[in-house]
Amino acid sequence: MTIRNDCPPAACVGCQHHAANLVKLGVDMGRFDYVVALAGNPNTGKSTVFNAITGLRQHTGNWPGKTVARAEGGFALDDRRYKLVDLPGTYALLSTTVDEEIARNFILFARPDVTVVVVDATRLERNLNLVLQVLGITERAVICLNLVDEAKRHGISIDHRRLARDLGVPVVATVARTREGIDELLQTIAGVASGEIACKPHRLAHRAKGAERVVSGIAREIEGAFPGLSNARWVALRLLDGDNRIYEALRSGELLELTGGPGAAAPEAPPASAAAPASVAAILSHARAMRWEIGPGFHDSLAEDLYTEAARLADRATIVDGKARRFDLDRAIDNVVTSRWLGFPVMLGILTVVLWLTIAGANVPSGLIATLLVDKLHPLLHAAGDWMHFPSWLSGFLFDGVYLATAWVISVMLPPMAIFFPLFTLLEDFGYLARVSFNLDGLFKRAGAHGKQALTMSMGFGCNAAGVVATRIIDSPRERLIAILTNNFALCNGRWPTQILIATIFLGGLVPAHLAGLVSASAVVGVAVLGVAMTFVVSWFLSRTVLKGQPSAFSLELPPYRPPRVLRTLYTSLIDRTLIVLWRAVVFAVPAGAAIWLAGNVHVAGATVAEHLIHAFNPFGLVLGLNGVILLAYVVAIPANEIVIPTLLMLTVMSAGLKGGAGAGVMFELDSPADVKAVLVAGGWTTLTAVNLMLFSLLHNPCSTTIYTIWKETRSRKWTVVATLLPLAIGFAVCFVVAQVWRLA
Amino acid sequence: MGDPLLNLLLFAFVVLVTGAVFWPTHGLLARLRRHRHLAGRILLEDALKHAYHQEKRGEPCTLATLGGALEIASQRAVALVTRMQEARFLRVDDGRILLTQEGTRYAVDVIRAHRLWERYLADETGVDALEWHARAEEQEHALTREQADELAARLGHPRYDPHGDPIPTAEGAMPAEEAERLAALGADDRAVVTHIEDEPHAVYAQLLEIGIYLGMEIRVLERTDEHLTCEADGKPFRIPPLAAGNVTIRRLEGAPTKDGTERLLALEPGEWAEVTRISPVCRGLERRRLMDLGLVPGTRIRFERRGLMGGLFAYRVRGAVIALREEQVQVIGIRRVPRAAEGAA
Repeated sequence: MTIRNDCPPAACVGCQHHAANLVKLGVDMGRFDYVVALAGNPNTGKSTVFNAITGLRQHTGNWPGKTVARAEGGFALDDRRYKLVDLPGTYALLSTTVDEEIARNFILFARPDVTVVVVDATRLERNLNLVLQVLGITERAVICLNLVDEAKRHGISIDHRRLARDLGVPVVATVARTREGIDELLQTIAGVASGEIACKPHRLAHRAKGAERVVSGIAREIEGAFPGLSNARWVALRLLDGDNRIYEALRSGELLELTGGPGAAAPEAPPASAAAPASVAAILSHARAMRWEIGPGFHDSLAEDLYTEAARLADRATIVDGKARRFDLDRAIDNVVTSRWLGFPVMLGILTVVLWLTIAGANVPSGLIATLLVDKLHPLLHAAGDWMHFPSWLSGFLFDGVYLATAWVISVMLPPMAIFFPLFTLLEDFGYLARVSFNLDGLFKRAGAHGKQALTMSMGFGCNAAGVVATRIIDSPRERLIAILTNNFALCNGRWPTQILIATIFLGGLVPAHLAGLVSASAVVGVAVLGVAMTFVVSWFLSRTVLKGQPSAFSLELPPYRPPRVLRTLYTSLIDRTLIVLWRAVVFAVPAGAAIWLAGNVHVAGATVAEHLIHAFNPFGLVLGLNGVILLAYVVAIPANEIVIPTLLMLTVMSAGLKGGAGAGVMFELDSPADVKAVLVAGGWTTLTAVNLMLFSLLHNPCSTTIYTIWKETRSRKWTVVATLLPLAIGFAVCFVVAQVWRLA
Repeated sequence: MGDPLLNLLLFAFVVLVTGAVFWPTHGLLARLRRHRHLAGRILLEDALKHAYHQEKRGEPCTLATLGGALEIASQRAVALVTRMQEARFLRVDDGRILLTQEGTRYAVDVIRAHRLWERYLADETGVDALEWHARAEEQEHALTREQADELAARLGHPRYDPHGDPIPTAEGAMPAEEAERLAALGADDRAVVTHIEDEPHAVYAQLLEIGIYLGMEIRVLERTDEHLTCEADGKPFRIPPLAAGNVTIRRLEGAPTKDGTERLLALEPGEWAEVTRISPVCRGLERRRLMDLGLVPGTRIRFERRGLMGGLFAYRVRGAVIALREEQVQVIGIRRVPRAAEGAA
């Protein structure tokens, strides 16, 4: 048996992690001595613990080959460096979901030096279930008993010494929010990592005698074949439960590799490569035969035993103060936000406030950034170009095309996202978003979709690309695909300004001035509601045709309300969501800017390319009640819907031969809505054009950032194409019908 | 631009034609594809299956039964049998068609693919129970042996299909099937359902309609010529003898274990209950997920609230509030308990 110990012995006292498997799982140990995994149930404050330990030294990414986010960070203590890997939050480790599989595989195959299990002190029994499962796999664990302050408020105190004795591993009480107990936690982690603190984890026996005999029999066989394997019993359980990943690990020798560690196998042990394969095959076929013996209820009894033991241990360690029974705030809030009469009004109210804050709040910073990038920097760049004797086509291409498009995207996109995403995350942290799902599930179920699609749809109001990423919370593939394909029907930030502007100047102008505001506002809301309706209709259609199936079972935890961590939220949502989405948009805006400028400036047969295209699109556009300029603008605006209005203005001025504007291929915006209207009317716009533009703005292909995100999330060319063309086809059809009916009337 | 009315009519026409051609299940393309499906290999495999099942039932397989089962004319049946003889899948002995060893193995592989696919449909997709069989009938011909092995591995090497039929192992071994039928029971007999025959379709649909599921514990109340009156999960129901003949059971001895098991759905908001069982109709991942959430026999739960639009129910389960859809709530059996000390929950 080879001894696998790839770390320098001096720096790594007692370390046990598996360096090769860590690399496979995407962890680069670099200068770190130890690797620490962080496990826990969802909603236990695991991320707060993670943040308390790592501070800002963390970065996020995905697990290799999986669309599951993960965070990594580090800390140093007494000249040792520790890498902390945040595992997905799970209720169990029986690998029924991708999250559970990732967490389980990491603990098993990467063999972290310490696994910290975050436990919610107010819900000890539920959390101990996971603890017991972790202890089945690894011996080196530390229990972080978090939220002890909240437990105290509920009149619960926990005897953590007794719990530590019962579990056989250290237990540290913490309040991660205030960093209380975190230093002790770090010391304990260090102690377990170096081997100074010895763990003797509690492993439970099966209650059913027949099954217990089978399990321990196979466990003994495994121990015989793999001396030094610390979790033979757990492996036996997984084999009997039909866990294919473990079958494979045995067959391929992956498990064998794990048995090698410091001090594991004695050198005189027979070479495993000769002895093991035969016995492995025997164990596998024995385990498979035994599966017919232990009866069909084996998995049930496993789960039952775990929870029974968790309840027993929790009961021993918990001291409940009987008189502390107090007003239940969570229940009181839920009585309002999920009530028959107030549920929907509260939901609509909050959505309105969030969108209003986003749109109104973004105006000022958007203006500031535009002033800086467009009004100030753009002429400076031109001056610099002149100074360096750039030919005018080069300055035009670089500064009017590439630079200006990018500047537009940043100034129009950044502020609303920087407002919307933090607000959204705050609502999520507070616990309200789960209630939105709870309230809307009935509708989604009728459409054959998943209840959590309510969340991804709301996220889509901010940005469809982010909404598509958010569909990861839906664990059934069919329903996740439905959520991805329909996310584009949520009117995103990039489209609200177009809607508001067009509604204001065209529809508001149709009625007396004192009603104008009301009419244009309800038109915009009407379009957004139409988008929601389309979400349901298309979901319903998909789940009855190409994505046929019944709505799958789903469970939704309504987490306890907790005050959101404002600063932390601002920071992470800015980094995680806003900047990533913005960066992708900029990447796509650069070539688009170049294309726009070229189309406006390259002359072929006496006219610019843009004019040719407009001319070609015009007949089709007019049949749809739009025009060639709009269609070309939407082709150009594939990178970002934000640039539709400036592009429309530029193209209209160019094609109608109007005076004004900023030159061919140069996007611009006008200060007053009246000026915009003048330009557009001169370009041949009617009320029908305006109405259909609003509809088309809702119903057309997603922006390139979203398309790219859909491809990354689905890895399927087919579904990416469907997601792109389906809304476009619907948009064409709706505009066409509206135009014909309009003309009929 | 033309006349708008004409345009609209034209549009409606185009939509209708596109729909008629491309509609996934009943469209022209789908029909065409299904038609082409009934080609050589499928016929051969279905013939093997028929011969295998006849053998298991202890009934002879002849040209007549084969032609009848596959709904083909006798001439085609003769050609088919000749082809299969040449391939050494079967031999003909005194008018009886007998499977060779290779033929049996081939048939078992097809059956394995069929049952695995049904298992997959039941566990991992939302496909309706009534459609499992038809879909598996198609898929069994498409899966290679390697793909079937992969599927088995992915599903955790399941032992039974959702109807209770054993799934042959990769080596082709299949345990003996249990034989006693529900129709054979008399008054006051108790039994657990081990298998529900999925053919013929009409009878299977009837059984589903009645609500028969695998693992259901049935007590026969009364037996007449027209129907069997039974009781399960605290509810009486009637089942015609013909349908009862399609349900395989295992007799249960002794007195019923937990009498008067109530459904969780019957609970009112604010009431407490103890979980007594999760019905076996809830299988695979769904079942595991419920258990992972802490819904195991013995768990105390409190009904917190109903969803705004119905169909969703929130329970306090081991300290957390978990919302479940009606289908899941239906499978959970409970016993009411008095209001517990909430601090401990």
